[in-house]
Amino acid sequence: MVIKPEIVEIGEKIRAVFVPTGNFKTNIITASLTVPREKNLAANIVLSRLLAYSSAKYPDPIMLNAHKEMLYGTSVSGVSVKSGESTRIELSADFIDSKLTFDGEDLSLKVMSLISELLFNPDCRDGKFDREKFLLHRRLAIEIIDSEQNDKRAYALQRMFENMCADEVFGISSAEIRKDLEALDEADIYNAWKELLSTATVQFNFVGTFDREKALEIIRQGFAGVDRHPVENSTLFVERAEDVTEVTETMDINQSKLVLGFRNGMTDKDDDFYARQMMTDIFGGGAYSRLFMNVREKLSLCYYCSARMFRNKGVMAVQSGIEKENRQKVLDEILAQLEVMKKGEFTDGEFESSKKAICDSLRGAFDTPEGIDLYLSLKSDSKIDSIEETIEKYEKVTREDIVRAANDLTLDTVYMLEGRDSGDDE
Amino acid sequence: MTNKIKEVVSERLSEKYYEIDHKSGLKIYVYPKENASSSYVIFGTRYGSIDTQFKLGTDTEFTCVPEGIAHFLEHKLFESEELDAFERYAKTGASANAYTSFDRTCYLFSCSGNLKENLEILMDFVTHPYFTEATVQKEQGIIGQEIKMTEDDPDWSVLFSLLRAMYKQHPVQIEIAGTVESISQITAELLYRCYNVFYNLGNMAICAVGNVDTDTVLEVANRVLEYREPVKIERRFFPEPKEVNREYTETTAPVGTPLFAMGIKENIPTPERTEREIIISQIILDVLCSKTSVLYNELLKEGLINTAFNYEYFCGYGYAMLLFSGESDNAAEVSKRIKEALKELQKNGIKQEAFERVRRMLYGNTVKSLNSPEEIANDMIASVFSGESIFDAPEILSSLTLAEVNDRLKKAIDTDCSSLSVIKPEVQK
Repeated sequence: MVIKPEIVEIGEKIRAVFVPTGNFKTNIITASLTVPREKNLAANIVLSRLLAYSSAKYPDPIMLNAHKEMLYGTSVSGVSVKSGESTRIELSADFIDSKLTFDGEDLSLKVMSLISELLFNPDCRDGKFDREKFLLHRRLAIEIIDSEQNDKRAYALQRMFENMCADEVFGISSAEIRKDLEALDEADIYNAWKELLSTATVQFNFVGTFDREKALEIIRQGFAGVDRHPVENSTLFVERAEDVTEVTETMDINQSKLVLGFRNGMTDKDDDFYARQMMTDIFGGGAYSRLFMNVREKLSLCYYCSARMFRNKGVMAVQSGIEKENRQKVLDEILAQLEVMKKGEFTDGEFESSKKAICDSLRGAFDTPEGIDLYLSLKSDSKIDSIEETIEKYEKVTREDIVRAANDLTLDTVYMLEGRDSGDDE
Repeated sequence: MTNKIKEVVSERLSEKYYEIDHKSGLKIYVYPKENASSSYVIFGTRYGSIDTQFKLGTDTEFTCVPEGIAHFLEHKLFESEELDAFERYAKTGASANAYTSFDRTCYLFSCSGNLKENLEILMDFVTHPYFTEATVQKEQGIIGQEIKMTEDDPDWSVLFSLLRAMYKQHPVQIEIAGTVESISQITAELLYRCYNVFYNLGNMAICAVGNVDTDTVLEVANRVLEYREPVKIERRFFPEPKEVNREYTETTAPVGTPLFAMGIKENIPTPERTEREIIISQIILDVLCSKTSVLYNELLKEGLINTAFNYEYFCGYGYAMLLFSGESDNAAEVSKRIKEALKELQKNGIKQEAFERVRRMLYGNTVKSLNSPEEIANDMIASVFSGESIFDAPEILSSLTLAEVNDRLKKAIDTDCSSLSVIKPEVQK
């Protein structure tokens, strides 16, 4: 099914995107507000949580949750997402379509009003958020940071980036954020909220059945009293690595994690994106990729070894879980496979498989409201192509494009989270 | 022999699917979604990590096999004498995967083109095993790394520590992938034996959802699937005492925050719970500790739990419990407060208002789950294997009475039969 997002510009850097689907059981509203990462970084994390927790109309979270449950389990989430060197704050609600309620109740207007209430009318007094709620959500934000090392794979990736981009906004570490969180007070959150409404690039996604005029009216009303001074969101792209930095940290774990960080030559997030994405996929994407076929299948060195590109920062990471003593063997094999990519020695089959897999999964991306909403949110600070336009761009990628993209890669950081020797038992 | 096709309709949700008794002995479910571009197809067998002992037709004794063999078989089935399944899928663009749980093994793909070719690959490789000693050995290295990876996952470890504390007999307590030691006993011959028992079509099902139609699915099934004599398998209903094995278990690990899992064991007279019992238990849990509950909000405000707090009704063949998990510096207090709140609820009963609210929420969640072909297919295969339909839940929710809920609340839950599992951070050296 061809679905074209319809965009309505409401003001400078404020827009609404409507995707009238009609055939889903649920609808989604997402408000995305994007701001530069470095400013209010810690405050925005707490703010995103507080916005979804209570409001002036529902100061008691139990009342707010009961209201959501009565709206057939409408779920509301507030998160802050790192996107390059920006932070995207998302307030999102998904709810069942009115035709499926017990009595035909119009939920979409009620949920639109709820999102507006949470975003524009938070539980504040005298230029501050409520202290008790602030303290609660600051604690929760700190505990999320403390628990990061529980997920070893994600933790190793994060530590690699914190080392690789130590002097860049992208690499601001969890330890620094934790320190900033501890220094915050409830007035800081209020100021961050004011600044967010004033300076953010704003997009509202409406996926499903909505009264468009009412939706636009609610957004206009919300911003009516806001003194808008939108700021540019930009990210530093480092095209090449100067030399390779090696970092090893230890932890008492069974499986060591090896993470390689590459600069991929991009000058901005659109720079030769499709070729680079596809190159990353042939190198370390699906089960047809060089890394899967060789490091895992041929050499049995690991359960996972994959490459992933971070478009908004122009970097690529290779991740693998290995035996401590196999570090050099795995590293050599990953780099040998990269040479294959650079010399254009990958097979036509691998090239075709990757193209087919990417286009095939894109065609299904609009099969769920969540898929559409995610697609739109990832593009909340840029042009929104239709799925068909995106597929066309992948179709045009050639083998030469892949080779060029591979030759743009430079290894920056080799990070190892080193565990026990394989013979040691707990 | 012919195929028998039945249409299953939910008037309430304006949804339908087709249930087919295929002449090969396989049950096939086809659920077309209007306007979907992609399809999601699962070929599953009722065979999981808990099936470490089984009996066939006339056997008098149970046969025992190494722990983790169902998962091992899942890995190896992708291989064949010629192209392995991943290489075949690579030519069609489908995204393929597989998983093994406590009680089932599923092979799946999603695609938006080449449905027929993909169905053919799926039906073909799942019904044509090829194991050799050399490929079995190669896989021991890969799965060994998978096992080590999960050993380092504290959420996983805290759950399995809890299961070992709660159960004396039941194999739900063993790791799904087994151990490095147990998988070293697996041979090609053993894999064939388990395959021939559990991968008979009468023990399996296919669920195809999304951009699919019965004609395409049947055309491929008629061509690829051959009739085989059904095999009668008896799963073992392990005799499990009412009491838990241990009330408390604690370990240390390199974690940033302490974790806990607490379970309240249900004493079950028969191995399987009905959909109705499962939904009622879910309602009880939501009334007790959803974000709207007094208990949740108190524990949160007092700093006893955080965003990691979670709960579910955890059940399968021969086991059932209320499961609570999360991060806390004082897990014993959290456990005590949950049990106190539960006793209080048992004494006073659930109120009509709370019941209505939770019922609506669960109904909404059921409706939401019918959006995604992936979710439908996975829910469907689970319902199929327990002999129910995915359309049952909304009907149960609308016909359920508060009296039924309060009755189960009083009779099925004994807060004295509980275990607590804790993982604490290692003391810095």
